[in-house]
Amino acid sequence: MAFSSPLPIAERATERGSDFEKKLPGASALSRRVARADLSPQGRGELKRMAAGTRFREKKMTAKNLAQVLQAVKSPVELLRNQQTGPNIYPGVPAEYTNWRDEQQAWQETSVLFNQSYHMADLAVEGPDAFKLLSRLSMNSFKNFEPNKAKQFVPCSPDGYVIGDVILFYLAENKFNLVGRAPALNWITYHAETCQYDVKVELDQRSALRSDGRRKSFRFQVQGPLAMKVIGKILGKTPPELKFFNMTPLTIAGKTVHALRHGMAGQPGWELFGPWDDGEAVRGAVMKAGEEFGLRLVGGRAYSSNALESGWIPSPLPAVYSGDSMKAYREWLPAAGYEAAASIGGSFYSDNVEDYYFTPWDMGYGGFAKFDHDFIGREALEKMSNGPHRKKVTLALDDEDVTRTIGSTFQKHNRAKFIDWPSAVYSMHPFDRVTADGKTIGVSTWIGYTANEGKMLTLAVLDADYAEPGTEVVFVWGEENGGSAKPTVERHTQTHIRAIVSPAPYVEVVRKAYAPGGWRKSEA
Amino acid sequence: MPEKNLEEMLKTRNPVEMLRNSQIGAYIYPVVPPEFTNWRDEQAAWRKTAVLFDQSHHMAEMMVTGPDAFKFMNYLTINSFANFPVNRAKQFVPCSHDGYVIGDGIIFHLGENQLNFVGRAPNVDWIQFHGESGKFNIKMERDDRSPSRPGGKPVTRRHYRYQVQGPNAWKILEKLNGGTIPEVKFFTMDTINIAGRKVRCLRHGMAGAPGLEVWGPYAEGDEIRAAILEAGTEFGIVAVGSRAYATNTLESGWIPSPLPAVYTGEKQKAFREWSKPDSYVAIGSIAGSFVSGNIEDYYSTPYEMGYGGFIKFDHDFIGREALEKKKDKPHRHKVTFEWNTDDVAKIFRSFFDPEVENYKYIDLPLSNYGSASFDTIKKGNKTVGLSMFSGTTWNTRRMLSLGVVDPDIKQGDVLTLVWGEENGGTKKTTVERHKQTEIRVRVAPVPYASEVRESYGGGWRLKQTA
Repeated sequence: MAFSSPLPIAERATERGSDFEKKLPGASALSRRVARADLSPQGRGELKRMAAGTRFREKKMTAKNLAQVLQAVKSPVELLRNQQTGPNIYPGVPAEYTNWRDEQQAWQETSVLFNQSYHMADLAVEGPDAFKLLSRLSMNSFKNFEPNKAKQFVPCSPDGYVIGDVILFYLAENKFNLVGRAPALNWITYHAETCQYDVKVELDQRSALRSDGRRKSFRFQVQGPLAMKVIGKILGKTPPELKFFNMTPLTIAGKTVHALRHGMAGQPGWELFGPWDDGEAVRGAVMKAGEEFGLRLVGGRAYSSNALESGWIPSPLPAVYSGDSMKAYREWLPAAGYEAAASIGGSFYSDNVEDYYFTPWDMGYGGFAKFDHDFIGREALEKMSNGPHRKKVTLALDDEDVTRTIGSTFQKHNRAKFIDWPSAVYSMHPFDRVTADGKTIGVSTWIGYTANEGKMLTLAVLDADYAEPGTEVVFVWGEENGGSAKPTVERHTQTHIRAIVSPAPYVEVVRKAYAPGGWRKSEA
Repeated sequence: MPEKNLEEMLKTRNPVEMLRNSQIGAYIYPVVPPEFTNWRDEQAAWRKTAVLFDQSHHMAEMMVTGPDAFKFMNYLTINSFANFPVNRAKQFVPCSHDGYVIGDGIIFHLGENQLNFVGRAPNVDWIQFHGESGKFNIKMERDDRSPSRPGGKPVTRRHYRYQVQGPNAWKILEKLNGGTIPEVKFFTMDTINIAGRKVRCLRHGMAGAPGLEVWGPYAEGDEIRAAILEAGTEFGIVAVGSRAYATNTLESGWIPSPLPAVYTGEKQKAFREWSKPDSYVAIGSIAGSFVSGNIEDYYSTPYEMGYGGFIKFDHDFIGREALEKKKDKPHRHKVTFEWNTDDVAKIFRSFFDPEVENYKYIDLPLSNYGSASFDTIKKGNKTVGLSMFSGTTWNTRRMLSLGVVDPDIKQGDVLTLVWGEENGGTKKTTVERHKQTEIRVRVAPVPYASEVRESYGGGWRLKQTA
């Protein structure tokens, strides 16, 4: 028997799609503009491109599900590239506690507290069939999976493309929680609702899409080379030895807290979570213990840039927009949910939305695929498994070219797309073109600056022939023809930036010290 | 034992040292999202189409009512109230007894015996302190600005406050009003119809074109905002986020952040004793390369801020005597500094060069990193001015800053701005370790934008260029 999500469909449907309307009413009005004769030609051009976003919106309003939204547009790519949604936002925490440069350096030099209580959604999956359902959707083996362990959960479409990438916590017998972006959570909910599983799912929406100022759980990470010293100080003893992605219950500030051995910024660290109301006490205890270990709070600006150093791509496009096998799912997905409102930004342009999909190998997760169980996508992945595979790399952008690009901000004509600091991501799903020998050889995703390396880095997926560290490639920055209609895109000129292919993760210490057996290690 | 007030704090600390190493962090423009679209397009819109500035959160208010309200407020400002009827507003410039500015803001003469001040917190503190003296028959209601870090908790203020500005602003306002709006004079108040409500408004023009500021009960704010954005859609209105907001002053030439001149002088002692350890004057920060052991070197006179023309010795006010003495002396004057683009690029280049020490990060579009900024401006080896507010706008395509220079400095002079703090930087949380460097700057008029210079309604902006 299947239980539906406790939220009515319509409400769930508005989840991420409504970001824009709820949070950015000004931009919403902007998207409804029409050109008017009494404005300057310049103003009219401006309005015209903004109207591009409008047309999609109007059609979407009458659509009842993602399938209908897609029927009303020329192509999924046109819809997503001109979406009126900005980049993922990091609410709840201030932009900077101190300054983003020092906050970045602290995760390499001392210790940091990442407050992850706000920007990700949680999905609780519980019941006798929970294990079976999740195994059915996961290419990972569930063989030795038991309570107090966690997994990176990367569900794929029947065609073998990535739907999403979240963390799966095995909390107790028949009790799981998944944390991350919506697409993987929606995919699980769909199967829970439409297939014969005895499970119950419950969504806890991220903060940007709620107004009660609360969540079900708090979620902190203590990271950095001195992180375990901070934890030891909190506990008043040497912290228990925990294997990577294993959990243990603890008491902090009189509260029961669960700890997950993690290491987001490439150093051993713990993720702590527990009931929302205990959050402030736990946070206070961490901060107090961290004082002598130079613990810094990390604000919203620095936070998302840590992925550049650790080599994790946060933003695969959910592979749901095409293919007959996904049609029923598109009809189930709401017309204003994450998938319908997600934005694609960047110089990589293809008519075929499938060119934006990633295989598990593209993202460095090939090693996860275990054909010891039956799961959605197995057949396709088996076919793919022998390759050839593209390879995830870090691109180290050329310092001179980046400086020239930034310098164009202060010139009258041909200004490049603004490079924001430290994260230069301007859409939910960045895709920039990478070329060599005059042809496209891959796509680049996350982009930003790290004060630890003094470099502008991107995470890219390249054809194997060009993925050798040291290879010189060209990174194309900015969108074609002055830019798409996304609100984050000012009129600009596309430019080329030279780049050197480097390992992912980029940071030395990450490559050497990360968890045994994990994808980061296998990438090195 | 912890100190109970600013005066006690200063017994063991040099104020310069204390403020330059404040742990308060960046000066935040709270609650309003950083960007609604992107800060480049938001800046461009105030010159090309129209914008909605949401000023509901970053300023404090003090409502002063009662039989002595008018007299009391006049006692605290350099301006004459001789021609200040109900439904007019004035720029309110309180000074210390020694004739240096405490700050400035706007006072609205809302009704008989009713004046509302809107501006930075130290002005409100100054008003409250003097109002509590008991010498005036007034009532005061203070409304502090929104918390800098609400952490997801609900925020409420007494008033919403919006400005509709830009070349299409008037069309939008007339559409909302359902008919023409009489051309009222700058800083005159009236009412306008918005969404079926009669809303009070002030003729303003922050970005150099006629516009209005509107305000009302905070609870009605969302409705009014939605109506403005709806009406403005066809005229290209853009909501301005907190990143772009403060930069508009780089074009219009108002310096928002003089240091309140309260740290010295016997006559300010009672105010220092009144000021709590968490007040703006006790925890605000000073950022920048200018270092002097004497805090008074950071004070500004109304003359150098461009408010000389406001000073009227037709009434008794705090600071009058001192200003009468300063009146005929040579004054520094307010200018815009245009930063050399190659020198700016050199700073950005340093962030990518592991071989050299990095310079102080320049945040865009606003590059201040304290509550009040003071960067040294040199001619040769001589300090000839201070840069006090810096950033860039997509309309001007330059790094700009506002500041003051010695009387003999002329427009077009090329001077040197010292960027970054000495010895790797102070202990402020906004300061990463860095190396000081120099930027060539050209002295330019204030306001910088020619449109602003030509069409702004009266007052100090015009007088500056005259």
